Amino acid sequence: MAVAQRVATPHRKELIVVPYRRVSAAAMATNVVLILLGCFFVLPMLWMLFAAVDSNPDWAIKLPSLTLDNFKDVLARQDAIDSFKASVIVAGTTTVVTAILSVLAAYPLSRMHIPFKRSFMLAVLFCSGLPVSMLIVPVYQMYVYLGWLDSLYTTALFLAASSLPFAIWLMKNFIDAVPAELEHAAAIDGAGTVRILREIVLPLTLPGIAVTAIYTFINAWGAFIVPFVLTYSPENQTGPIEIYNFMGSHGLFKFGDLAVFSLLFSLPVVVLYLFMSRYFSGAFNFGGAVK
Amino acid sequence: MLSEVRFEGVHKIFGTETVVEDLNLTVKAGEFLVLVGPSGCGKTTTLRMLAGLERPSYGRVFIGDRLVNNVPPRNRDIAMVFQSYALYPHMNVYDNLAFGLRSRGASGSVVAQRVTETADVLGLGQLLKRKPSELSGGQRQRVALGRALIRQPQVFLMDEPLSNLDAGLRVQMRAELSRLHQRFAVTTVYVTHDQVEAMTMGDRIAVMNAGRLQQVDTPQTLYDSPANMFVAGFIGSPRMNFVPGRLGGAQGRRTVEFLGAQVPLTRGQDVTREPAEGRVIVGIRPEDLQWKQDAPAGDTVSVQATVDVVEPMGHEALVTAVCAGELLTSRFPPRSGVKTKDQVELALDPARLHLFDAESGEAILKRPPASGTKQASVGEARMDESA
Repeated sequence: MAVAQRVATPHRKELIVVPYRRVSAAAMATNVVLILLGCFFVLPMLWMLFAAVDSNPDWAIKLPSLTLDNFKDVLARQDAIDSFKASVIVAGTTTVVTAILSVLAAYPLSRMHIPFKRSFMLAVLFCSGLPVSMLIVPVYQMYVYLGWLDSLYTTALFLAASSLPFAIWLMKNFIDAVPAELEHAAAIDGAGTVRILREIVLPLTLPGIAVTAIYTFINAWGAFIVPFVLTYSPENQTGPIEIYNFMGSHGLFKFGDLAVFSLLFSLPVVVLYLFMSRYFSGAFNFGGAVK
Repeated sequence: MLSEVRFEGVHKIFGTETVVEDLNLTVKAGEFLVLVGPSGCGKTTTLRMLAGLERPSYGRVFIGDRLVNNVPPRNRDIAMVFQSYALYPHMNVYDNLAFGLRSRGASGSVVAQRVTETADVLGLGQLLKRKPSELSGGQRQRVALGRALIRQPQVFLMDEPLSNLDAGLRVQMRAELSRLHQRFAVTTVYVTHDQVEAMTMGDRIAVMNAGRLQQVDTPQTLYDSPANMFVAGFIGSPRMNFVPGRLGGAQGRRTVEFLGAQVPLTRGQDVTREPAEGRVIVGIRPEDLQWKQDAPAGDTVSVQATVDVVEPMGHEALVTAVCAGELLTSRFPPRSGVKTKDQVELALDPARLHLFDAESGEAILKRPPASGTKQASVGEARMDESA
């Protein structure tokens, strides 16, 4: 139990000190469970890190005998380089298309009186929950019919279409957060719609646009089934398919290469994530705008 | 340039709810008109229709001689100060002030000059580089005001601009707004729910309730001759006392019976409309109901009351007393020594009474002009009752 103590100070005045409460058993138990759960996430990553720099990696997590040969190996492989390029094209195109379209769709949904808006938004929400794999067969047929197969850009188009519903929801909420009074003030100040969008709404939703873009990019970066079905040339294989190929070829595992490629492939995501978390903490500050 | 503002038969209907009903109101050129009323009375909607942020369902809105119903806000040549200030959070003070000028294509040197002038008028010179989030409430309020001033518009619209400030700052800004209006004399429509702001700042006050304009007049006339019970109760603090009464007596020698007393109406008090069965509501301002010991000798009527609550205010004390089952508030001198449960004698001057029709709530007593002031015509500015 916490007991107040009296501590004498040089001025012979007594300060009352109440010690902090000790950690309770319940808090301990919670922490133990959380640490165990955390291990499930951390151990595979640890394996990846260790195997990447191990001269003789296998299934087990063990302290590596350090080498950089695996990196040299992977960086020398043309298919690895190609898959990186392909991923950048697919994820980049998806992100740009999704970001532009979601802003244009979300702004009127946020600001205007549109008949059946609620039903529409619910339909959009429903769409964002549909698994893409459900649609892949008809989409494949459509792509065959249109002659769009095996192109990174048309693949990105479908990825953009499938990420739009959630992106629109996300963007609408970000635009909702911008006080409408700022737009009214700007309108009275003499600004037209384009100027209001460019100078008031866009700067204030920039963090939101960044979050939406990064979220879309990360999803497209890791997308497997869509590029797997819609592309077939070796140079059009994105990163996740390449990882699958690493594992699948001839039942022979090159653990070191696999680990290095996985590590390199997850780097952009980690960087974007760090960037996003920094943006998040500093953004959405409408301080001084209203009240 | 000074412009008048005119509402003609303006209605605003949201769905099934009529928010503003048949508004006929003229704001004279260069006038400071305060729109006052309780929340939800339609005053802000009225202002937003003038700003162009809402479109009237029926009726016409004029700025100067121009019908503006279909004119977008940016072409109305108005400036508005929002309750929330609505400063652009990503721009510094300079850019906030300059935004309106730049939107209208002013050149860089003109912008710089006008921003400097405006910042000087409002004492913002040291703050031009700061973002709104780095300003105090009072400074933000000044920037919002500056953003309106800098444009030199035909009409200023202000939507409760002082309600987010603390009490001391509010009093200070009130005086400053009045000074600015005297200096620039731009037609101003000022919305507030605070009757003190209305009384202190307005050239004229328009009182609204439940979407309808109740009365428009100078602050003193509103106070002295409220058109109905709503205005009488809304303007003045503490509130006017209302007690039921009965109008009797013959023409020329009318009497009102209330609180158990029979009070003859004095000369100059004419009943303009006969209430049904003589049933009236008598209105007495707290300062017209005085402690007998403190009241000047004269033609007064006195009533006995039991003190319920004494609220010392320092310079005076508000005493709520019960008389014939009615609660009455009166102003007492600060050190009267009166306590709860005391019996007191209250004196009232019959010439200061207000009478309202018990059914319609309309004022039915034409009162003599207050001593020393010439009474303005109430009927002229009041909304047409038949409308």
